[in-house]
Amino acid sequence: MKDSAMPANVPVLRIENIKKRFGDKEILKGVSFELNRGDIKAIIGPSGGGKSTLLHCINFLTLFDEGHVYLNGIEIDHANKRELYAYRQKVGMIFQDFNLFDHLSALQNVQIGLVRVKKIPKAEARERAVAELERVGLKEHMNKYPAELSGGQKQRVSIARALAMDPEVMLLDEPTSALDPELVGEVHSVIQKLAAGGMTMILVTHEIGFAGSLAKEIMFMDEGVIVEKGPPRKILYEASQARTREFCDKIIHFHHREDDQE
Amino acid sequence: MSEFLFLRNEVAPAMIRGVWMSIKLIVPSAVFGLVIGIITGTLRVYGHAVLKSVANIYVTLFRGFPLLVQLYLWYFGLARFGIYFSPYTAAVIGFSLCSGAYHSEYIRGALLSIKEGQMLGAQSLGFSKTQALFSIILPQAVRRALPGCGNELIYLIKYSSLAYMVTCIELTGEAKILASLYFKYMELFLIAGAIYLFLVSIATWILNHVEGWLAVPGFEPPRT
Ligand SMILES: Nc1ncnc2c1ncn2[C@@H]1O[C@H](COP(=O)(O)OP(=O)(O)OP(=O)(O)O)[C@@H](O)[C@H]1O
Ligand SMILES: [Mg+2]
Repeated sequence: MKDSAMPANVPVLRIENIKKRFGDKEILKGVSFELNRGDIKAIIGPSGGGKSTLLHCINFLTLFDEGHVYLNGIEIDHANKRELYAYRQKVGMIFQDFNLFDHLSALQNVQIGLVRVKKIPKAEARERAVAELERVGLKEHMNKYPAELSGGQKQRVSIARALAMDPEVMLLDEPTSALDPELVGEVHSVIQKLAAGGMTMILVTHEIGFAGSLAKEIMFMDEGVIVEKGPPRKILYEASQARTREFCDKIIHFHHREDDQE
Repeated sequence: MSEFLFLRNEVAPAMIRGVWMSIKLIVPSAVFGLVIGIITGTLRVYGHAVLKSVANIYVTLFRGFPLLVQLYLWYFGLARFGIYFSPYTAAVIGFSLCSGAYHSEYIRGALLSIKEGQMLGAQSLGFSKTQALFSIILPQAVRRALPGCGNELIYLIKYSSLAYMVTCIELTGEAKILASLYFKYMELFLIAGAIYLFLVSIATWILNHVEGWLAVPGFEPPRT
């Protein structure tokens, strides 16, 4: 997975025809898309549509039944463990409920992957971890444990933790949906900074305003398929599929109502 | 005066011998028991099918058989097949395996209480399952299991008195011998009991320190 010599036209991440069933229920019915370097794509869609399952399949936390995943044009063989672990470092994952390591301080959360996975000496790893926490504005909280941090701070630690592994792509699964409304902004601004720095990202979200401002393309996903994709304006206001229009109308109205109440 | 001489010349040396033997039984059994418990508890949750069932059978047997029966089997039972353990060895084996089975239960329960997200979080960073188990999951599970395992260690101190049933003369054994020799059951067993209480207090003190030392916000020892 050497990427330096790759020609510019090879997508960083390409997934092809991913299918996944749980029992007799087909959750993903053949999903394909690709991301070029610096691309930000958002996935929206109703609950249960398979968005989380898709992200989990992309880094093989869930094994899919059919399909292929390519990083910089090279197919990932998950049976080759060494390759899989190297690949996962390249694809940072942000979870809805953070999944911080509860027994470790913020600093140790960021440091441990560097020490255990990348085998970087402790002192150097610590320096790197402090720098990552500084990037997300949490240097002064670095010795706190997850139980002592707010939801927004936890999510920022988890972003720092993923960034420390030096990923080429970030997968964000509803990064702010577990947060109190007043904490959403701090996480959004960290993600915006990432975007400004040119990070390639897939963002699953219900915050269509945020998705629209950030992503070049929005994909609407329902019942295991990408029903429709296109530039935010088109998907949100002039979708061609009835399903997409219905969903977007509903959440746009919902957001307006929320705005009215403020 | 004869009471004092009796205490000094008979009771004190016997009790010191007894306590020393008890400690030599308890400490290795506690260590082996914990190690066995952590290994089998982990296998029962994360092991492959075969190892998982071996570990399950182990726990069922060793929690199901009364400890005294287990000791008799190790010491007298195996002798029939030409396997001779010294009383001390038989007792340490018996205590370790019995204690391990109980620790195994606490470790298993603690492992099951750790949310799946901890493993996913680690794997998403490139940890292998084994690495995640050792550096993320077990350190949390051990903290959760600590109160239960601590209790088991306290029990071990007390059931170590069964060793004298397989002729390993520890504290209770020494007290029994003297008591029947001089017919002073009340006095000698009160002394022995007080010494066990003292050992239990030391163990409790150590356990509290270990809990405090491992405490992390979110994993505090339960306040009692
Ligand atoms: N491990 C599993 N076993 C069985 N079914 C599962 C499993 N994981 C997910 N599912 C099912 O797959 C479907 C899609 O779930 P998924 O979490 O991917 O949806 P989602 O689009 O992320 O929804 P949400 O917006 O609520 O997060 C659901 O019906 C869910 O019940
Ligand atoms: Mg989801």
